[in-house]
Amino acid sequence: MKPFLRRLGGCAAVMLAVLVLNFFLFRIMPGDPLTGIVDPRFSPEAKAQLAAQWGLDRPMSEQFFVYIKEMLSFRFGLSMMTGTPVWDELKNRVPNTVALLLPAMLLSAALGTALGMHAALHRGSRSEKLVMLGGAVSFSFPSFFVQLLLLMCFAYLWPIFPLRGTTSIPPPKGAAAVLDYLWHLALPLFSLVILGFGGFALYIRNMMVKALGEDYVLMARARGLPARRVIWNHAFRGILPPVLTILLLSLPGVVSGAVITETVFSMNGVGRFLLEATNSHDYPAAGAAFFLLALLTVGCNLLADVCYVLVDPRVRREGVRE
Amino acid sequence: MTPAHVRHYAGAVILTILAVLAAVGPGAFGLSDGIVSPPYSKPAWLDSSIASKTILDVASDISSGNVGGTSGITWAYDAPSRVSIIGTITDGYLEWITPNGRYRLAEGAGELDLDARDIPFKKSLGIGPFENMARVLFPARGSYVLSLSGGGNVVMTIEGGRWGLLGTDHRGRDAAALFIRGIRISLIVGITATLIAALLGVSLGILSGYAGGFTDTVIMRSVDVLLSIPTLPILMVLSGIWGKGLWNLVVILSIFSWMGTARTVRAMTLTLRDAPWVEGLRALGAKRGYIIFRHLAPEAMPLLLANIALGVPGAILAEAGLSFLGLSDPRLPSWGRMLHEAHAYGAFTSGAWWTVLPAGIGISMICLIFMDIGRKLEERADPRLAGGAPGGIHLAFAPEPDTETSMERE
Repeated sequence: MKPFLRRLGGCAAVMLAVLVLNFFLFRIMPGDPLTGIVDPRFSPEAKAQLAAQWGLDRPMSEQFFVYIKEMLSFRFGLSMMTGTPVWDELKNRVPNTVALLLPAMLLSAALGTALGMHAALHRGSRSEKLVMLGGAVSFSFPSFFVQLLLLMCFAYLWPIFPLRGTTSIPPPKGAAAVLDYLWHLALPLFSLVILGFGGFALYIRNMMVKALGEDYVLMARARGLPARRVIWNHAFRGILPPVLTILLLSLPGVVSGAVITETVFSMNGVGRFLLEATNSHDYPAAGAAFFLLALLTVGCNLLADVCYVLVDPRVRREGVRE
Repeated sequence: MTPAHVRHYAGAVILTILAVLAAVGPGAFGLSDGIVSPPYSKPAWLDSSIASKTILDVASDISSGNVGGTSGITWAYDAPSRVSIIGTITDGYLEWITPNGRYRLAEGAGELDLDARDIPFKKSLGIGPFENMARVLFPARGSYVLSLSGGGNVVMTIEGGRWGLLGTDHRGRDAAALFIRGIRISLIVGITATLIAALLGVSLGILSGYAGGFTDTVIMRSVDVLLSIPTLPILMVLSGIWGKGLWNLVVILSIFSWMGTARTVRAMTLTLRDAPWVEGLRALGAKRGYIIFRHLAPEAMPLLLANIALGVPGAILAEAGLSFLGLSDPRLPSWGRMLHEAHAYGAFTSGAWWTVLPAGIGISMICLIFMDIGRKLEERADPRLAGGAPGGIHLAFAPEPDTETSMERE
């Protein structure tokens, strides 16, 4: 349990760094947080009153304390644009973002693994080249371009999917609501999977090519084990820890991608909320959305760490991680 | 020449062409940055059933004995979206002869600046103020003549729905000019941001690996933190607060992309630091700086170059992503910005794919080329990664193709 506790400490440190970064981002940069809503014609008294309303007239240390309290209690303060609590607006959006990212992550990892393994086991074949090419394309094509193309093809030219939104307006009732939700989710999810599998496929192919040349695989083959067992129980099992590391490292990118995906498909998620808050200089709202996205990343990170302990006996025994 | 060679050469050629285009700019091809044609005009080669921009030009000089002039066209299309007439008449009148009748557009002497949307002009011709003037002036297919009696100099511009190589965007700007402008932004941002990031990463990586102890801990923990938080939101917020200029963007991008390089370089430094030959150098009395810059840095070069080449697509994609979200300087026409405008101003519902495809393909192509270069360099640093192309290198420790197929068959 000890290594896991250490990772927990690491995650707490990351979140602390995020909190501090988030706080100073809006206070140290040129221009004060009120720039967005204060008109130059405002009287100094009105300005002071607004500053007092958001607690910006207090000393920095006190502001920091209040800020930490607001963040940790998930209230996030009041939006500068609407004056309503930020959390009220965000809480409906969090499930939408999770429902998009989690399946996207799992499906692209599964597809990437399948294709990468296939390529590694068929070196020199046409299908290996196809996987390498597809992987490079998937890896390097800009997400918004691919998504715009999908939108153009499957929502405008051949309108089998909705052009925008998370649900229809007005939303249908009962079981139809679920179908409607999934129907709106399908195209964004599909786009994330075809954009996300490439990195995995290329990485797994490279790792497997190396692993298949290792002595322990040769040993397993010499013992006369069936090919399936050599490939999956020995070679693939051996590369699982670094594959999980890659999964871990790709998480922040996936969450970043949510901003773009939700913007392209006009979905009601945390990412688009962040963009809107940034564009309207609504700093408490933007800060809260950023905090939630970081929390999502760190949470998935922790989940992957649990898996790490499961796949790498060395971590369990000594707490060592490559 | 294997297909891989062809790909490498094609990549190099495309990259060179793009770099040259970026260097000379759209002006060299006579493309202007301004508004040239109605919004979402199609590419000129696409649809010949739509008129392209036509200019009729009539000039006559009374003092040299001319008493007028004509300029005619054969019109085989629907009515144009806009018509405008600019010029001067010294003494006489201007007539527009259509297959269905004549219109006297102006007479007397004076300056002319008429537009088909001009209500007094419509009234002077006896047309209702809300009627489409261009449709009245172009009632049918056939031959039209702009006829000037007396002296003067008149230019009639008939706006078409076709323009240039890539059509126009939502404001009527030439998409080809925007595309060429965009290359410059992508290349500048991609390459400079990656170089700065690489410089940062190398310095911090070497420092971390060589100094060890507290310095190492601080640098590596910051790498961990930066690698495990989503950076796009930070970039968005920073560019929102810090200004949207090109160089601001470069600095912001490089601050958040040095971590991978630092990790790689640190790992290399650690292996090399304790290598016997480095110990030998130390025993010979070599100074730390000398060992780092004369021995460790050159050793790390191949992998580093691969890292840089592989970092360029990331920076280009990040810039394009920020521009796509509308967080870049609106005066800088980048590819991401083109896509942003296409998305924001409904290029889809106008079917204007020519504002989407060139920019998107441009970004993807540049990224693929740099990835290819990076992979090539990486393979050079670690030959086992080389693709198993027939005729390629099969090292002794890589599995032989035939044994694998036998494994598969079981």
